[in-house]
Amino acid sequence: MMTANYVALATVIFFIGAAGVVVRRNPLIMLMSIELMWNAANLLFLAFARAWYNNAGHIFAFLVITVAAAEAAIGLAIVVVVFRSRTNVDVDEVAILKG
Amino acid sequence: MMLLVIWLLPLLGAIVNFAFGPQLKRSAGIIGSALVGVSLIATLAEWAPATTGAGATLGVRQHLFAWMPGFDFGLLLDPLSLIWTLIITGVGFLILLYSIGYMWSDEAIARFFAYMDLFVFAMLTLVLSDNFVGLLVGWGLVGLASYFLIGFWFFKPTAVAAARKAFVINVVGDVAIMFAIFIMFAKIGSLSFSAVFAHVPMLDGWLFWTCTFLFIGAAAKSAQIPLHTWLPDAMEGPTPVSALIHAATMVTAGVYLVARCWPLWNASHEAQLLVGTTGAVTALAAAVLGIAQWDIKRILAYSTMSQIGYMIMGVGVTAYQAGVAHFFAHAFFKACLFLGAGIVIHELADEQDIRRMGGMRARTPVAFWAMFAAVLAISGVPLFSGFFSKDQIIYGALAHGHPWMYAAGIVTAGITTFYMFRLFFVTFFGTYRGDLNPADVGVEHPEEPTSHEPQHGATHPPAWIMALPVAILGVFSVIAGYVMIGSNSPWSRFFRPVFGFEKLPPVAISEIWTSVIVLVCVAIGFAVAYWRYATPEALADAPARLRAETHRMPRVLVRLYYFDDLIDLIVVKPAQALGTFFGRLFDPMVIDGAVRGVVSLSDAAAERIRDWQDGLLRVYALVVVAGAMCFAIYYALQGAAR
Amino acid sequence: MTAAFWILAVLLVASAIAVITASKPVYSVAGLLAHFFFLAITFFMLSAEFLAVIQLIVYSGAILMLFVFVIALLSSGVAPFALGPNRLPKIAAPAAAAVAVLLGFAGYAIAREPAITPRIVASYAGPVGAANVFGSVADFGRALFTTYLLPFEVTAFILMVAVIGVILLAGESTPYVPTRKRARIVERQVREAIVRAGEE
Repeated sequence: MMTANYVALATVIFFIGAAGVVVRRNPLIMLMSIELMWNAANLLFLAFARAWYNNAGHIFAFLVITVAAAEAAIGLAIVVVVFRSRTNVDVDEVAILKG
Repeated sequence: MMLLVIWLLPLLGAIVNFAFGPQLKRSAGIIGSALVGVSLIATLAEWAPATTGAGATLGVRQHLFAWMPGFDFGLLLDPLSLIWTLIITGVGFLILLYSIGYMWSDEAIARFFAYMDLFVFAMLTLVLSDNFVGLLVGWGLVGLASYFLIGFWFFKPTAVAAARKAFVINVVGDVAIMFAIFIMFAKIGSLSFSAVFAHVPMLDGWLFWTCTFLFIGAAAKSAQIPLHTWLPDAMEGPTPVSALIHAATMVTAGVYLVARCWPLWNASHEAQLLVGTTGAVTALAAAVLGIAQWDIKRILAYSTMSQIGYMIMGVGVTAYQAGVAHFFAHAFFKACLFLGAGIVIHELADEQDIRRMGGMRARTPVAFWAMFAAVLAISGVPLFSGFFSKDQIIYGALAHGHPWMYAAGIVTAGITTFYMFRLFFVTFFGTYRGDLNPADVGVEHPEEPTSHEPQHGATHPPAWIMALPVAILGVFSVIAGYVMIGSNSPWSRFFRPVFGFEKLPPVAISEIWTSVIVLVCVAIGFAVAYWRYATPEALADAPARLRAETHRMPRVLVRLYYFDDLIDLIVVKPAQALGTFFGRLFDPMVIDGAVRGVVSLSDAAAERIRDWQDGLLRVYALVVVAGAMCFAIYYALQGAAR
Repeated sequence: MTAAFWILAVLLVASAIAVITASKPVYSVAGLLAHFFFLAITFFMLSAEFLAVIQLIVYSGAILMLFVFVIALLSSGVAPFALGPNRLPKIAAPAAAAVAVLLGFAGYAIAREPAITPRIVASYAGPVGAANVFGSVADFGRALFTTYLLPFEVTAFILMVAVIGVILLAGESTPYVPTRKRARIVERQVREAIVRAGEE
C-alpha cells in the first residue's frame, strides 16, 4: 500500500533534516533542517489521515505548522540576538553553557 | 439520652477545668465532683430501664454513629455495666469530694480535677461501649489519664518514671487487645458485643488466641503477673488517685473485660485455665509481697493486686457474678483503706513509712474506725462485705473443678488477714515513732518529706470534707455484702439475665465448710499478726522489733521476686543494646554512610561526566537523534515480531 | 499515481539534501522553497487540499521570507558566517556513522513491515475540490471549529506568546528602564529646563 511508501519517504526526509542539524554549523541552516523534520512529521500525519479517512491528522498537521512558525520566529530572534553580541554566529563558538 | 448525660458530664467537667483552671482555683474541685455526682444521680435514674428486658433487648442502648460496615458505635447500659458505672460515679464522687480536702493546698488543683474528670469519662467510655473498638478507646484513655495522674507531681523524678512505666506496660496490653480485635473482625466481621457473642463458633481455632490476647490486655490493666510491676510504683500519684484509679476502678477493667466477654470464656476451657491460674498465682504471690512492704500505700497496692487476682480467678473459672461481686465489695473497702491511709499521710506531712507511724488511733479517729471496718471486710470476717464475695470466689473455684485454685484462695485469705492487720496494728497502735531516729526503726534511707504545700498552714479545708467520704465508704464496706447472701440473693437475681443461671453439682467440701476453713485461716492470720505486733510486749518493744524484722526480711521478697530485674534483663537490656547498636553503629555507618556514599559517589561521577556537558549544540542534537533511532528500531522490531 | 509518488519522492529527497549541503544560507533557502513546493503537491495527492495551500502560503510565504530577512540582516555584519575551528569531539564522527548504520537498519525494519492495512473510520472520498468530501476546506473547517476548537485556541495563544517572546528578545536594543524611573528622569529634565529658562 501507498502508506508504507509515505512512511519510508517521511523517515528519509526526517533523518536528512536530523543530519543537517548535526553536521552544519550555521544556525540558519540548522533551523531550516529543523523545518525539514517538521515537514516530514506533517507528511506522516497526512498519509495516515488519508489511509484512515480521519481528518484529525489534518488538524494536527495544521497545529504543527503553527508551532513550527512560532519556533522559527523565536529561533531566528535568538540568532539575531547572538549576532548582536559577537562577530559571527558559528554555533560551536556559542558554547559557554557547559559543565 | 440519659446515657449521654451520664457519659458526657465528666467530660464537661474535664473541659471546664482544663479551660478555666487558673480562674476557678479551689472551686474547680466543687465543679469537678458535682458533675460526677450528677452523673451518679443520672445512673441511679436509669436503674430500672437498665435491668429490664432479656437477651438482646437487655438494658438501655444509645446509638452514636455508624462506622464501618458491620457495626455502629453505641452505648449500652446493662446490669454488668450498670454496676461498674455505679462504682465509677459513686465511689468516684466520694473520692473527688475527699480530694477537695486532700488537694486543698496544691497549686495545681484545677489540673488535678481536670485529669480526674477525664479519667471518669474515659472509664465510662470503657464500660458503656457496646463494641470492642469503643472499649479499646476507653481502655487507652484510662491509661492516658492514669499516666497523667501518676505523674501529677512531675517534679518528682520517681513519679515521672513510675508514670512512664505504667504507660508502657499498659500499652503492651492495648496492643494485645488490638490483636484480639483484628482476629474477631477477620473471622466474624463485626466488633459489636452482641454480634461477636452471637457468633462465637465462627472463631473456631482462633478462639483461644482471641481470649489470650484479650487477657493480656486485661492482665496489663489489672496488674496480673507478669505485667504487674507498674502498680506498686503507681503509688507515686496523689492518694485519691491511688484510691480511685489504682484500687477501685481502672485496675478492675480486666475483670470487666473478662466478665463482659463471658461467652468467649465459656466456650474455651484453656482460656479459663489460663485466666484462673494467673489470677490464683497473682493473688497468692502479691499477698506474700504485701508482708514485706513498709510503705503504707505499697502494702495497699499489693493487696489490690492480690484482691484483683481473686476477681480474675473468679471470672476465669466462670464464676462471673462472684468475681463481679468481689469487685463491688472491693471498690468500697479498698477505696476506704486508701482514703484512710491518705488521712494518716496528710496528718504526718507526707510520711508513708509505717515504721515511722504508730499510735495514729488517737490522732486520726475517723481513719482508724473506717479502716478498721475495711480491714475486717478485706480479711473476710463474717458480716463484713469481703466475707460474702471472697467465699463465693473460693467456693466457685472448687465448684468449677479447680482444687489448686481453691487451695491458693484459702491460703491467700489467711495471708491477707495477716498483712492487713500488720498494717493496721503498726500504724494505729503503740506510740508515735516518727520523732525517733529513722535508723532505730530500720529505715535506712528516709525519704525527704516532699512537701507540695507551698503555703502550709495558711488555710485548712473543713475537716468533714475528708472524713465524710471515708466514713461513708467504711459503712459500705460493712453492708455491701448483704445483697449477696445465699444462692438466690438479690445479687444473683440481678445478674441472672446477663450470665444465666448454672446449677452446679455438689462438691466434696460444701459452701458452709469452705467458709469454716477460710475462717480458720483468717483466724490464724489474725493471731500471728496480733502476736507479732499488738501484744503489750510487742508494742512496748516496737522500734527494736521493726528494725529486726527489716534486717531479717528475705531478700527475694525485698527485691519483689526479682521481677523488675527479670524484665530489665529480658526487655530493657536488649532494647538498650539494640538502641546502642542502632545509635552508635547502624545509624552512623549504614544510614549516614549510605547518605555520604551517595554524595561522594555523585561527586566523583560528576567529576568524570561533567565534560560531557560541553555546550556544543550539535553534540546534543546527535545524542537526541541516536535516542530517537533506538526508539524507531525498537518499534520497528516490535512490529516485525507481531 | 505511483509514478507520480516516486517522482515526487526523488525530488523531495534531492531538495532536502540540497538544503543541508548548500554552501550559503541563501542556497539552502532556495532548496527549502523547492522542497515545500513538492511537498504541497504531495499533500494534494493525499487529498489535503487546504493544508497544501497553507503549506505554500505559511511556509513559503511567511517563514522562508523571515529566513531571507534574517540572512539579509546578518550579511551586513563583518563576515557573519565565517567559521571557527570544528569543535565536535573526535568521537562524533564514528558516532554519526553508527547513527547512520542504525538509520539503515531502521529503514530495513520499516521496509519489512507488512503492509499497513487501513481501518477506514469514515469513507467520504470524492473528487478534489468538491465540498463536503474528505480533506476539503469545508470538512477541515468544520472539524477545526467544532471538535478541535480548544486546541485551536490554545495554538493561537502559543503564537501570541511567541510574538511577545520575539519582541522581548530582539525588539528592544536599549537597556530596559522601569517606567517609574523613566518618569523621574523626565521630571528632572523638565525641572532643569524650567530652571534654565528662569536663568535666561
